[in-house]
Amino acid sequence: MQVKKYLVKCLHRLQKGPGYTYKELLVWYCDNTNTHGPKRIICEGPKKKAMWFVLTLLFASIVFWQWGVFIRTYLSWEVSVSLSVGFKTMDFPAVTICNASPFQNAKVKHLLEDLDQLMKAVLERIVAPELPLANATRALNFTLWNHTPLVLIDERNPHHPVVLDLFADNRSVSASGSPAPGRACNAQQCKVAMRLCCLNGTVCTFRNFTSATQAVTEWYTLQATNIFSQVPTQELVKMGYSGEQLILACLFGAEPCSYRNFTSLFHPDYGNCYIFNWGMAERALPSSNPGVEFGLKLILDLGQEEYVPFLTSTAGARLLLHEQRSYPFVKEEGIYAMSGTETSIGVLVDKLERKGKPYSQCTVNGSDVPIRNLYSDYNTTYSIQACIRSCFQDHMIQNCSCGHYLYPLPRGQKYCNNQEFPDWVYCYSQLRQSLGQREACIRMCKESCNDTQYKMTISMADWPSEASEDWIFHVLSQERDQSTNITLSRKGIVKLNIYFQEFNYRTIEESAANNIVWLLSNLGGQFGFWMGGSVLCLIEFAEIVIDFLWITVIRLPDTTNPGAYPDEQTLPIPGTPPPNYDSLRLQPLDVIESDSEGDAI
Amino acid sequence: MAPGEKIKAKIKKNLPVRGPQAPTIRELMRWYCLKTNTHGCRRIVVSRGRLRRLLWIAFTLTAVALIFWQCALLVLSFYTVSVSIKIHFQKLDFPAVTICNINPYKYSAVKPLLADLEQETKAALKTLYGFSEIKSRKRREAQPWSSAWEGPQPKFLHLIPLMVFDESETSKATDFLTGQKRKVSGSIIHKAADVMHVQESKEVVGFQLCSNGTSHCAVYTFSSGVNAIQEWYKLHYMNIMAQVPLEKKVNMSYSAEELLVTCFFDGVSCDARNFTLFHHPMYGNCYTFNNKENETHSTSMGGSEYGLQVILYINEEEYNPFLVSSTGAKVIVHRQDEYPFIEDVGTEIETAMATSIGMHLTESFKLGEPYSQCTEDGSDVPIDNIYNAAYSLQICLHSCFQTKMVERCGCAQYSQPLPPAANYCNYQQHPNWMYCYYELHKAFVQEKLGCQSVCREACSFKEWTLTTSLAQWPSVVSEEWLLRVLTWDQGQQIKKKLNKTDLAKLLIFYKDLNQRSIMESPANSVEMLLSNFGGQLGLWMSCSIVCIIEIIEVFFIDSLSIIARQQWQRAKKWWSQRQAPACPEAPPSLRGQDNPVLDIDDDLPTFTSALRLPPAPEAQVPGTPPPRYNTLRLERAFSNQLTDTQVPAES
Repeated sequence: MQVKKYLVKCLHRLQKGPGYTYKELLVWYCDNTNTHGPKRIICEGPKKKAMWFVLTLLFASIVFWQWGVFIRTYLSWEVSVSLSVGFKTMDFPAVTICNASPFQNAKVKHLLEDLDQLMKAVLERIVAPELPLANATRALNFTLWNHTPLVLIDERNPHHPVVLDLFADNRSVSASGSPAPGRACNAQQCKVAMRLCCLNGTVCTFRNFTSATQAVTEWYTLQATNIFSQVPTQELVKMGYSGEQLILACLFGAEPCSYRNFTSLFHPDYGNCYIFNWGMAERALPSSNPGVEFGLKLILDLGQEEYVPFLTSTAGARLLLHEQRSYPFVKEEGIYAMSGTETSIGVLVDKLERKGKPYSQCTVNGSDVPIRNLYSDYNTTYSIQACIRSCFQDHMIQNCSCGHYLYPLPRGQKYCNNQEFPDWVYCYSQLRQSLGQREACIRMCKESCNDTQYKMTISMADWPSEASEDWIFHVLSQERDQSTNITLSRKGIVKLNIYFQEFNYRTIEESAANNIVWLLSNLGGQFGFWMGGSVLCLIEFAEIVIDFLWITVIRLPDTTNPGAYPDEQTLPIPGTPPPNYDSLRLQPLDVIESDSEGDAI
Repeated sequence: MAPGEKIKAKIKKNLPVRGPQAPTIRELMRWYCLKTNTHGCRRIVVSRGRLRRLLWIAFTLTAVALIFWQCALLVLSFYTVSVSIKIHFQKLDFPAVTICNINPYKYSAVKPLLADLEQETKAALKTLYGFSEIKSRKRREAQPWSSAWEGPQPKFLHLIPLMVFDESETSKATDFLTGQKRKVSGSIIHKAADVMHVQESKEVVGFQLCSNGTSHCAVYTFSSGVNAIQEWYKLHYMNIMAQVPLEKKVNMSYSAEELLVTCFFDGVSCDARNFTLFHHPMYGNCYTFNNKENETHSTSMGGSEYGLQVILYINEEEYNPFLVSSTGAKVIVHRQDEYPFIEDVGTEIETAMATSIGMHLTESFKLGEPYSQCTEDGSDVPIDNIYNAAYSLQICLHSCFQTKMVERCGCAQYSQPLPPAANYCNYQQHPNWMYCYYELHKAFVQEKLGCQSVCREACSFKEWTLTTSLAQWPSVVSEEWLLRVLTWDQGQQIKKKLNKTDLAKLLIFYKDLNQRSIMESPANSVEMLLSNFGGQLGLWMSCSIVCIIEIIEVFFIDSLSIIARQQWQRAKKWWSQRQAPACPEAPPSLRGQDNPVLDIDDDLPTFTSALRLPPAPEAQVPGTPPPRYNTLRLERAFSNQLTDTQVPAES
């Protein structure tokens, strides 16, 4: 029954037509809306009406413009940073310690013997070319030499440089030169260069050096790389310094520790490195107090006499503080600690926490980077250094079809060596100098979202002091070698103190600069400021738009019968009372006259 | 009820208009309060009872006050900055690196110039401290001073005498040249007195500087003779060197080939041609790597092998024993267009060591006016930049001091560049420059010259944070071969075998390619300010810019026009009264309650009296018809408000 009644009502309404005009609707809207501008349009005389109409339109457009600005700002995903500094109990950083020399000379001698002989001969030839050649070159192994020889480039005639082979007497001279009669030439006239050839020596370039020191060092390193890359890693580990040898004493806070607390890692540049507090198997050790007494104290023995003479010319310990479970890039980020000194390192943990997408392009664990992290074999976390090195190794394998000795090897690949890959040196030096390769890697690798750096304050003092020297050396020698003689010297001994500073952290945390609350309150503020409106006003407006459409829809059939509306007024339909709520609103304006004052009713 | 309602509606209809056309200010206010969009005002008018009305007035006023206060806070905090720190991993430009030997000139080359000075310094050391020949010290007073002198009369000591003071009697001093005590006039300035207390009853050494011909003298004393002699030496040294032309000085100093034994950058050899000469007055020839604007080196890998590696040759035999007392080199990392203030901010490098310097780049950008006082390029700082380099605070301070020095003393100080049309100070032309310089320097340090307030910091700067670590180099086993090859490398320059204490190795590299940028950005924009205004207005009063326009309209335009109209009518009335003072007719208009008959509607008088409604204040007297056109138009505003109440009347 109810439904029928309702349907009948609806039918009548449709028959009746909209019952009001666009103008009436607009006037009603303007009068009753909560938005401030439209209310004033209909109040007063025509001039004011026009003025208010223009003002309302102007304000509305300003509001929309400002909203556009705010929404664009919001979508630019800006971040704001908060910085906090202070002291708190933190995990002590992982400490990687290496010796500057990767191997002990005595243990690698059998591998490097030929090379050392050759190197000595080369030095002889460079420094004192007058000496007869025969006895110098008698017992040399020239297979190494032939692969990448060093040459002298005589630049006395700048337009026609002459290339002289160092062992010119029994070697044929390449390129344009013929053996010059006067070999005596000094550093200013002759430059030492390295000849790099590929494709069976048909394509050659010279890598020039301005000083002989660099030339021979680079040459030796290259040859040594070739030799070591053919030796399996287990054997290389044995040739390096053992933890027991390197770490003489260790104290963390008040607790003694020993070389057993260190994780060993083979580093191609520095041989055996030892990592304290890496957090791989055990939980990371926290440190809850600032100061030397609560940090890590180490005494190291470098064994400087056992350095490989041509491989490293710098003596000291290599040291790096890094995050737990991250790979130590000692060569890039490490610092030296000098022998015969006590080096104190105050640590400040500088942490950066980035917001991920869409705020920046950082990556949380490197899984979305298109380069396979070769260092993940060590179970380490992603870092951009690891990515760039993996990227280089990828390029190396693509271009030279072998991996470089300094970087980890992808499965199924081989390290470069002269026998299997005769062109690798040429290929590698081309690749290393190519800027495009590096930039491609930088472009592909993403920063990691959480970045921790350890800021160090380094200070040094002589250690041991002259007064305490005797007993300290005595005790350490006794402990290490069980001998009563002093076997250690100032040249090889290093003391390290690593501890937290008074303020041990500085955290830079990113947070969204413009969140949704910010956006809404600003949108509301703008709308309120110009027009005094709110979301409800928008809904009102939408309602009016719907009403408009409604009128349009209902009116459409009425266009054929324009007289419908006046008839409706004059002819009451018996039995069905007019829908009062509707008609009230639709009374012609001059019929109802009343005051809006509330107190008058 | 129905007729009553009808009457009421009719009354309403005929009630006078209260709007901009309202006859009195009070009416206008009432109309405003009822019609306005702000929330508080309406309550004032509609609430009944005095207490409530007062409360609402108080609330509204409080809200207005709060709005003003909050908006004032917003405006005051408009020019604040928010700082953002960004870290990017990217290819970085390598900075310029300037390397100097600590010793400015080869001693063998400058010795002819400094021979007299050296002799006198030695003599002073001998007599003051018994250095060299005389090992046993006697009582100074008893010593015949003049006997220490042979040969020509000393000119340097004569000019600025070194003296020994007895701390207990400060006005007495012993001139070491003549050996006689003499009165010292003027103030005694202890160079170190403000920082630490010099032990009592200890002899102190110093020198006296007097201005020309007058009795103005200042005595500078030092707690240690080492400082006194060095300062004294330096004064004379600067005086001598100021007279030497630049080309000669450059020739006396080290050449790039001599200083740099090897050079290696990013895996490629480099040599002296990659370095540009930069002559520093106190450090002699310095060499800057990567200073050519056209070819800037950049690094796309971090780590020591991708940075700059140089081996420096530092010949200790050529060191000036009195000018410098340490051995090594100084290095400074700076921007290409920046002036290297090597004496102020350099890092020292030891010999027989490998110094490895890891860099981190931090860039800072500040916002200029009106956020802070920084300057973009120094063009708005009233100090001429006498350096051939980009503006920095230090350049400004030094330029300021040098300019003041030229103004007051008439000559320029030696360790800074020359301003146009000025000469370096020397005794011959400016006999009392030293006194002037010391006085000026004191004023400068005490910020009396105004330099510190005039100079402003630069808005953007790059800073390289250095992590320096040392290692032994060359190692014991590699020493022998390395020195041999290095000797060969050095070849022509030196004719001796190198020793490891003559060499220093330096590695400068980016630790990683993270660039930290600290940027300031405006914390507020105009949009934000407006929307904050809108928030405040809306929160307290639901007001908007429309309300403000309303307020302006009502309170300024309408009320002023009402007052003007009233005044006009009063004037007109007064005028007409004066024109017809003895008019016997009834007063021209009876208003409001004075009017006995309100002739608006027939039954109105009874209704009014019955309801005790206040008669319309502006009810028109008969004979003057109400301005109908007005009424009609304004009714529209009210027309639909009360439809609901009309419903029963219709049906």
